[in-house]
Amino acid sequence: MSTAHLILASSLAGLLVAAEPGKKTVAKVGDTAAFDQSVRTVLQKTCAGCHNAQLSSGGINLAPYSNFSSVAEHRGDWEKIVQKIRTGEMPPRGTPGPNQAQIDSLVKVIEGEFERADRGVKPDPGRVTARRLNRNEYSNTIRDLLGVDFRAEKDFPTDDSGHGFDNIGDVLTISPLLMEKYLVAAERIAARAIGADPLPKKPLEFEYHSKDKKIRRPNPSSIEATHRVDFDGEYIIRFGLPGERAADAKPVMMGFWMDGKLLHTKSVETKPSGLVYFNPHSLEEMRLYLPEGDHTFRVGFINDEALKTVDPKDYYSNRKNKFLDSMTFVGPFAANVERASRKKILICDPKTGAACVQRIISTLARRAYRRPVTQNEVASLMKFAAIAKAEGQSVEQGIQLAIQAMLVSPHFLFRIERDPNPTDASNVHKVSDIELASRLSFFLWSSIPDDELLGLAQTGKLRATGVLESQVKRMLADPRSGALADNFAGQWLETRNLDSVKPDPQKFPEWGPDLRDAMKAETRMFFEHFLREDRPLAEFLNARYTFLNDRLAKHYGIEGVNGPEFRRVELTGDQRGGILGHASILTVSSYPTRTSPVIRGKYVLQNLLGAPPPPPPADVPPLDEQAVGSAGSLRQQLEKHRANAICSSCHSKMDALGFGLENYDAIGKWRTTDGKFPVDSSGTLPSGKTFSQPSELREVLNEELPDFGRCLTEKLLTYSLGRGLERYDKRTVDEISKKLAASGYRFQTLIYDIVRSLPFQSRRGEVLQTATAAKPKEVARR
Amino acid sequence: MIVTRKALNRRTFLRGMGTAIALPFLDSMTPALAAPTKAPVRMAFVYVPNGIDMANWNPAYEGKLGELPRILKPLEPFRQDITLLGNLTHNWGRVLLDGAGDHGRCSASYLTGVHVRKTMVDIKAGVSCDQIVANKIGHQTRFPSLEVGLEDARQAGDCDSGYSCAYTNNLAWRSDTQPLPPVLDPRMMFERLFGSGLALTPEARARQGRYRRSILDFVTGDTKKLQSDLGPTDKRKLDEYLSSIREVERQIARAEKDNAQIDPHMEKPYGVPADFAEHFKLMSDMITIALQADMTRVVTFLVTREGSNRAYRELGISDGHHPLTHHLGKTDLIEKVIQINTYHVQQFAAWMEKLKAIKEGENSLLDNSMIVYGAGLSDGNRHAHEDLPTLIAGRAGNAIKPGRRVVYRKETPMTNLFLTMMDQMGVHQEHFGDSTGRIDSLTSA
Repeated sequence: MSTAHLILASSLAGLLVAAEPGKKTVAKVGDTAAFDQSVRTVLQKTCAGCHNAQLSSGGINLAPYSNFSSVAEHRGDWEKIVQKIRTGEMPPRGTPGPNQAQIDSLVKVIEGEFERADRGVKPDPGRVTARRLNRNEYSNTIRDLLGVDFRAEKDFPTDDSGHGFDNIGDVLTISPLLMEKYLVAAERIAARAIGADPLPKKPLEFEYHSKDKKIRRPNPSSIEATHRVDFDGEYIIRFGLPGERAADAKPVMMGFWMDGKLLHTKSVETKPSGLVYFNPHSLEEMRLYLPEGDHTFRVGFINDEALKTVDPKDYYSNRKNKFLDSMTFVGPFAANVERASRKKILICDPKTGAACVQRIISTLARRAYRRPVTQNEVASLMKFAAIAKAEGQSVEQGIQLAIQAMLVSPHFLFRIERDPNPTDASNVHKVSDIELASRLSFFLWSSIPDDELLGLAQTGKLRATGVLESQVKRMLADPRSGALADNFAGQWLETRNLDSVKPDPQKFPEWGPDLRDAMKAETRMFFEHFLREDRPLAEFLNARYTFLNDRLAKHYGIEGVNGPEFRRVELTGDQRGGILGHASILTVSSYPTRTSPVIRGKYVLQNLLGAPPPPPPADVPPLDEQAVGSAGSLRQQLEKHRANAICSSCHSKMDALGFGLENYDAIGKWRTTDGKFPVDSSGTLPSGKTFSQPSELREVLNEELPDFGRCLTEKLLTYSLGRGLERYDKRTVDEISKKLAASGYRFQTLIYDIVRSLPFQSRRGEVLQTATAAKPKEVARR
Repeated sequence: MIVTRKALNRRTFLRGMGTAIALPFLDSMTPALAAPTKAPVRMAFVYVPNGIDMANWNPAYEGKLGELPRILKPLEPFRQDITLLGNLTHNWGRVLLDGAGDHGRCSASYLTGVHVRKTMVDIKAGVSCDQIVANKIGHQTRFPSLEVGLEDARQAGDCDSGYSCAYTNNLAWRSDTQPLPPVLDPRMMFERLFGSGLALTPEARARQGRYRRSILDFVTGDTKKLQSDLGPTDKRKLDEYLSSIREVERQIARAEKDNAQIDPHMEKPYGVPADFAEHFKLMSDMITIALQADMTRVVTFLVTREGSNRAYRELGISDGHHPLTHHLGKTDLIEKVIQINTYHVQQFAAWMEKLKAIKEGENSLLDNSMIVYGAGLSDGNRHAHEDLPTLIAGRAGNAIKPGRRVVYRKETPMTNLFLTMMDQMGVHQEHFGDSTGRIDSLTSA
């Protein structure tokens, strides 16, 4: 260790004393010395050659930053400077710069000063921007408010995201296109909810046939088609089955799925009918209620054992096999049962008069706006009932029109929270109980509060001792909390990308919707299990169980799991365990043709350990992962790459983690060789910890539990608030992580503490933008 | 998806798309154009991501277009309809002081001409040039502008190094904080342009219009009340909402005035075709109808998103587009990049063929358009922001003299081109982004 380092160590000690909490903190002489020693020398030696008053390279002159006091005075600038140095972006390649130890001490001095400054600052809950419902929230809200199954993701443009989540108020905007969609969706949803508009008089027929290339074949026993159902109603669905099997062939179970959900099953004969045709062919038929919207329909044989005896070249031969080749929809026909939405909405008989209509409308408006509504508001909605009447429409159609208006109202589309003084940033205040109820329900359910929650808020009881906790408990137990698995975990763990990944069909012929859906289900159920059963986080990383059906068990090479339903499976052997053994995660962190230790390593660092590697510095060529197999194994390639000092600082950690997962191929199947090379999944982390296979990597990761806990805290807090975390949130994250550790990393503790935290409970006025020089005025053209 | 139809037509389809000239002359729908007045100029931007292999894009010569380089080969039949522009640069797409994230940055600066704020949340770019035009002339058409694309946004995770996905998901920006999302689903596009296809009697349609208007009046009033005591950012969010309402109101009024249900002579599409060319064709067919029927004069077309990882199985390429562009000079990988680049141009050429086949008086629809085809990066491997691949198809009426390659002084701002194009749309700006003036030799031979 150099002398410089010793001096630094002693001056850092001084800094820590000075920063003792609770005391008024004033910079001490030691801080200045540390700055001069570890920072100023680097700036002078390395940076000042270009970033001086004369040259001002990149528009930056570092002269004003040569004093310790500048750290507090120009915090924003210093944050940038530290970031450039830490990530190796500066100094540029080829310029002699500080070594890693020098960089570390520089960063430590500056960040120590930041922390000291932060301790003197009053707690800040931050401020959440008014946000519109995103597509998931819209769909869930329509379901809970009206009992209508509407899929906003099929009808509305994509929600933009930030910090990995699509519920961030600042990024969610409204375009004229979206407004159009809101207006049209409101019409259709209201019409579907009330069902007062007549169905078309003539049923229509839509055929999807293999000969017209209108169907897809996910596997030889199934066909799939995307079909738009134009009206809620009953439809006759016919299936064409050419061919026949052997005379002793047993009947097979045929299933019919809508959007991955099994709707109906039917036993189907596959042996020859006994009739003599030239082309054996049979038809099967079902009559089912289908909801309006775009749906993916799949029909197929379940557990088609007999297919195994068919030669693949005969799959579609009508002499050797029986298979599906068409799907026809005929309808709509009026459904015999009254729709659930009507029961939900029409709480009295509107024909009895205006009092009932008013009751219906005000009840709905309160739920739609998630707060008590004023008489004026009800009156203005009642006008729509009058407008419809004046147009000669029925009372029910009048209610329908009022619903339509509600669904386009800003009170419905936006979640807006009020401040006593919206432009006074020092005005910290608790959000109202009513606002808190929505915060809770949108956090846990991605939907509106139900009557119980809203009732408690309205009567001012929500914050009474124990009430909030009991509500959270109730809400977590409710199936609607599955929204956390879909929307939080789906984005955090990136499993939503399973819908868009396209593994190479040549290399991975087994990839298909069955396998994809099974992968999704495993991770979803695993997460829900943590959520509902309050499991400790350590299990997330190394659970000795998972959730499988036959398809996924086969993929994993696990015996004894029969049937399409998912169940908990205890894991024996050490191939799988914990989240990193999930094929879903291993697939979304791979390329279509092959694995990428770099992407997987980055995935672990970013999503589990909360230490996303900085982006590669500009102009550094990306890793030559493509050369795998031609010029040596991937590992050798990567090691060569790491010989480069700039790359090595991040890749040493990233790649090691990724290599630990090399036993799983690009769709998460276990392997021991990669092409002609044996898989070597050993690695050494920069900390010196080593592992030789995935199970040992899991153990190593388990030692990083505090980092994992903190990472999850940050992600979940971001999601719960709908805003990015700021510097001032560090305190909250620290506190919650500490409590999480104290609980033995119980998952629900995290949720309760987020709900109790300052930023979740409170807000403040907005910091008014002053004209800051955010952008360099003049940047020389190259 | 084509569907057999046994009952009477409830949908608006009359007959399937023909083969030769799929799009009928729709002058019955465009009364304004039926008179022998000058046809309007249309402006469109087609954006492809991850740069282009420039060695196979730039010809070795300047001036009159001769044999075209490999990537541009599909445009051979249109040699006399295109202008190749060299050395245009987007300085604001460069790193400057913002570190990594060239893909996120160049995509967002492409039409806005600004150095966008590096942020995951409080997005800030600028008004894009198409929207400046739409703002000025958009009142003359049903839609001030149309935004389309072919690739769904990434569902989860990062988009590019510290840049919000809003920067790569969108090309057009209505204000510096309000991006306009492209329509990706052909059905959504169809319904937007031609209605839902649900058979409504004229009375029902008129009633629907009245209802929509009264609902929009109602929510406008509500919003204004609501806005009065909000902070500036929340107020701005509601302003976006209000301005979108006004835009929709205008569309409704416009549709009532036209009083025409435009018959696109095509079947309503269902779902997103898995085949890229088919998807491109469906979307460009609908854009063509919209331009022909003067439903809009301004279009942005985000072919795929910057940083796109799409695997072009149609070409037998299983690797993602973006990783391929970081090819480290390997010829087999560069070859795949060239194939993808060419494939995109091929789809574009098929669209040009349709535009050219549609006559508007003496000119073709293509002649009356100026359609930029380009990218925010030139060499995707290096993330280079200079000499961006740029071509313009069409003559903007008779203003542009195509069939040439013009190479400008190095580092000529791309925004100079956009400024010149805006002039052609009758929208005169003094500056745009980092523009230093108009470009010469585009509109004067």
